Order: sequence, then C-alpha cells, then structure tokens
Amino acid sequence: MTTLTAARAMSYGRLTAVRRHPLLAVLAVLVLVFQVTTGSFLDAGNLRGIATDAATLAIVAVPLALLVISGYLDLSVGSTLALGGLVAGWLAGEQHQSPVVAVLGALAVGAAVGAVNGVLCCYLGLSAFIVTLGMLTAVRGLAQQVFPLPLSGFGAGFAWLGGSRIAGVDAPVVIAALVLVAGASFLAFTPAGRHVFAIGVNREAAHLSGIAVRRAPFALFVVTGVAAALAGAIKASVLDSAVAGTSGAGFELTVLTAVLLGGVALSGGSGSVFGVLLGVLFLGSLQNGLTLLNVPAFWQQMAQGVALVAGAALAFLGPRTTR
Amino acid sequence: MSRSPYALDSTPSRRRFLAWSAGAVATGAIGVAGCSAPGGASTAEAAGTPSAKAGDLRQIGLDYPFTQLPLYATLVKLSTAAAKKHGVSLLTTSDASSADTQATNLTTWVTRKIPAIVSFPMVFEATEATAKRALDAGLIWVTYGGSLEHQSADIQFSFLEGGRLLGEAAAKWAEETLGGKGKIAFLTDSTIQLGRERTKGMVDAFTKAAPGVDVVAQEQAIDPDTGLSKTKAILAKHPDLNLVLGVTDAAAYGGFKALQQTGRKATDAKTFVGGQDGAAPSLLAIQQGTFYRASAALAPQDIANAIVDVPLAVAAGKANPGVQVPITLVGPTDTARIDALLAQNS
Repeated sequence: MTTLTAARAMSYGRLTAVRRHPLLAVLAVLVLVFQVTTGSFLDAGNLRGIATDAATLAIVAVPLALLVISGYLDLSVGSTLALGGLVAGWLAGEQHQSPVVAVLGALAVGAAVGAVNGVLCCYLGLSAFIVTLGMLTAVRGLAQQVFPLPLSGFGAGFAWLGGSRIAGVDAPVVIAALVLVAGASFLAFTPAGRHVFAIGVNREAAHLSGIAVRRAPFALFVVTGVAAALAGAIKASVLDSAVAGTSGAGFELTVLTAVLLGGVALSGGSGSVFGVLLGVLFLGSLQNGLTLLNVPAFWQQMAQGVALVAGAALAFLGPRTTR
Repeated sequence: MSRSPYALDSTPSRRRFLAWSAGAVATGAIGVAGCSAPGGASTAEAAGTPSAKAGDLRQIGLDYPFTQLPLYATLVKLSTAAAKKHGVSLLTTSDASSADTQATNLTTWVTRKIPAIVSFPMVFEATEATAKRALDAGLIWVTYGGSLEHQSADIQFSFLEGGRLLGEAAAKWAEETLGGKGKIAFLTDSTIQLGRERTKGMVDAFTKAAPGVDVVAQEQAIDPDTGLSKTKAILAKHPDLNLVLGVTDAAAYGGFKALQQTGRKATDAKTFVGGQDGAAPSLLAIQQGTFYRASAALAPQDIANAIVDVPLAVAAGKANPGVQVPITLVGPTDTARIDALLAQNS
C-alpha cells in the first residue's frame, strides 16, 4: 500500500513537472527521435559535446533570465562575450599574465559594461531595449577598434579554463552547473530572489512595499555582464583564439531564445532556472541532432525559428512560475 | 508615502543626462570633424571634388562590406599606406555586412562625387545601377571580387580557384596517406556568392580527385565557434573522421580544435585540416607542423596594392587596368611565404 502510494506520488510529481514545464516533454520526444534516427545521439561522447557547447549558453542564460524576470533585458551580451574573450586572450597571450589575472580582467570588463547598462536603465530610466541594443553595437565597435586582428596562442595555462576536467566533467560544464545552482538558490531561498519576481510583476507596487527596485536589477545587469565576459573567456580558451568581429555574433538572440523557451515571460515577473536549463538543453540538442542528421543549413535555421515560436506557444499555454 | 522612482524622481536626472549626452556628442562630433579636416579623409570634404582625370586622383573610396572580418582591418591599414605613397587619401564605408547599408553608402558616395570607388558588391546584380550612375557622373568605378557590366575596371579573385587548390591538395594527401579511403567533412557556406564559389571549388575538386573518400557531412560554418560545435557533432557519429576542409580558415580552425579536444594529437599523421583565407591562427598552426596542413591564401598586400593601383591606372588612361590577385596554397614547407603573410597580418 505504501509502495503504491509512493509510486502514485512520484507519478503525480512527474505529471506536475511536465505541466509546469511542457518543454520537458518536448525535449524528451526530441531526444527520442534523434536517438532513433541517428543511433548515436545518446552516445557519451555526443552528450559531452552537447553539454560543453551548452555550458556557455547556460552561464549567460541564468543571469539574463533573472534580469528578464525583473522586467529588464540585455541584448548586449554577444558583444560583451566577444570583448571578454578578447581581453582574457590578450592578457593571457600577448601580456603573458596568469590565467587567473586574464579571467579577472575579462570579468572586470564585463562588469563595466553591465554597470553602464544598469545605470542607464535602472537609475536613469532609459529603455533597456534601446540601451542594450546600442551597447551591442558600441561594444562590438570598441572590440574591433582595440583588437582589429584575431588573437590566438593563449598558452597551456589559459587552456585549462575550457579544456580541463574536474572529477571527470569538463570545466565549462562544472562552471555552468554552479551558475545554475546559484541562480536557482537565489530565486528560491533568498528575499532578494523573491524581490526580483515582485519587481517584474509590478515595479510600482514593489517600490511601495519597500523593495529597492533599482538596486536588484542594477546588480543583475552587472552579473549578466560578468557572466557574458566569463563565457567569452571560456570560448577563447576552448578555441585558443578570439576574433572581434565574429566572436559571439548573434549570441544575444540565441541566449534570449533559450530564456524564452524556458518559460520566462518577456514582460517579467515569471520564470524559473529549471525552465532555462530546459531551454538551453533544447537548443543544444536541436542543433546537435540536426547536424547529426546532416540537415541542410537553411532547414536548420527554419527549425530553430519554429522551435522559438513553439516555445512561445508553450509558455503561453503553460502555467506561470512566480517562485 | 514615498513617491515612485518611475514617476518624478528619475525625470530630472534623465533629462539632465540626455542634455549632457547631447552636448557631449555634439562637442565630440565637432572635435572629430575638426581633427579629420586636414587629412582630407572625411566624406564631407569630398563634396564638390571634380571628376577624376588622369594624374589628379587624390581620393579613393574603398567599400568593403565585411567589416567584421579581420581582413577588413588589415586591408584598410595596408591600402591607406599604399595610397599615401601616391599622395592619395583613402575613404572607407561601414556596411556591417548589410547589402542595404552598402547600397545607401555607395549612393552617398556617388552623390558626393567621390572620384574613384572600389566596391566589393554583396549582391552584384543590385549594385549594377549604382555603378552605372557613378560612371555617368564621370567617376571611376572598380569592382572588387568580380565584374559588373558598368565598370571602369575590376580586381578579380578566383574564389573557385582557391577552393579547387585546397580540394586537390587534400585529395592528393588522402590518396598518398590513406590509400584513397577515409572520411571527410566539409564546412561550407551557401549564404553569399563568395562562399558558394569557394564551396563548389573545394567540394568538386576533392570528390573528383579522391572518389573513394566518404563524404560524411557538409555543414554550414564560417566562424570558429560553429566550426567547433559542428565538427564535434560530426565526430560523435564518425569518430574516425580523417579530413575537415573549411570554406574559411576560421571555420576550419574550429574543426581543428574539435579534433584535438576529442583526443586527436595535434601532429596526427592520419588527419588533415585545411581552410581558405590565410588567417593568422591557421598559418601559425601550419607553421607548427600540426595536422592543420593547408590554407588557400590571398596576400593582403597584393590586394591593398590593387585597391590603389587599379583606380590610378584607370585615371592615367592605361589599357586593361584590371588585375587578377593570385591565390596560392600554403603548406608546412612554405615557411618564407607563411612568415610574409603573418607579417602582413600583424
């Protein structure tokens, strides 16, 4: 009887999870289809490839999701990623600095970009869409002006960031896991996390309730900038090269797609880190599976576009997560 | 009861900020205009410049749309230096890989009568009318990377030839090292004319010369990040992949890293990676004796010289002023050539 009740409870739990995150069911079907059609999708090597590719996406998607939940947006992450990677590569390669200094340099640059976004959007009340769109172009221009030529040859020490393994798991995946856990814990267990939802639902009401409605989104802008720069440093480490014009080009749309697919409402006030994880895994699996199937490039683009529309529909139909 | 920060508090500071910003931008613009005036490289200064005649060409406009590519910065630097030797100033556009922006910028130049325009059309057919207007206005029009019906001259590259050189070299290696067997993945581009020609040259030459090698994938990739993720996925299905050929060196470099990250030694004798462009990271990998074995390379200095010399030759009334910039295949034994290319890219 006890076993039966436990089984029912587990079954109910699974159903609830699927109802709260319909993308979970879609992801499961996608994985099944790719495994059946390719025969190699679930191979350990391929899963490792998906995980490492998705890691940088997850590192940026988590803070960006929190920012979107609070009612803001950051479209400059692609350019910040490029600048972060270039600064880290330049410090490690041409300046022969230690990997720690190189990464810290990148993080400082990311924090600076995030702080500019935060001041303009949170304290001066300018439109986050316009400000971060402008910063997307401005930061890219700055990166191309300062680093007009490709950088490469960053040394074995810096390669550790993207190429080493911690307890058998690739370092970028470990970093992404830490970011996911930190993001989920922040939302679930801290007052500031609950304030993020409150600000996103109704900024005026949150302010009247005594919540610091500028400080939290400002901090999230800074953290998003730092995360984008960290992702850039990881990519530079993995590739042992960085190019100002092309690094992270279009990344802002990919990461926003993952966030929205994960059920985070663009209007703010709703979303979860688990949903974002699903969005990231969905995009990573989709691209990997289509490559395994040798699907032509334009069909792949179409499939990714359709996925976004489907994700938006799922988010619309599914229940809203406000915790 | 406290006031909302979104009603009154932020308004004055926002207005102040916007006022300061407008002032700063205006001051900066005036400063920049003032600084650039003596050099004569501003578009405004070009207004009223007479149509080019032999010997009096003092300005050349270089319209290279792919500003995100490292080659852009190199070309601008080398072309500016080459122009300066002839007492010519070089103007540039910022098209950001947009055909619409390119059309707008070219129309502006024609309206302002920039005496000589060297343009790499993103869509050749769409640029024909602008080129005709330029010629009708008495300007020099040099087409970069192809030919138009209306033009003074052209600077030609055979992108097909670059692909063919790489494909044939890889096929020869496969025949000699793998006995004509093995697996290859192509990292291709079908979005622009240049990419399609390079892809066709590379794929056709390889499959013709090494018919026994199994083509396991043709994936769209022009940047290292995409090259890395696509090659990783291909390797999951075909871990015994032998060759990766890229439409760009950047994409091929991503493939090179993917192979290494899945356990392939950098000097593995049974692996071949090759690309096109002569990009610095790829040239360094070739120089170091890795399995990145070839790049179909254009010398930036040759292109930069052509950007200046061809309009000058047209202005001087020379017959057949156009040039064909050579593409050469660079391999591990071409050390002097690699050093020269790296120096030009530095």
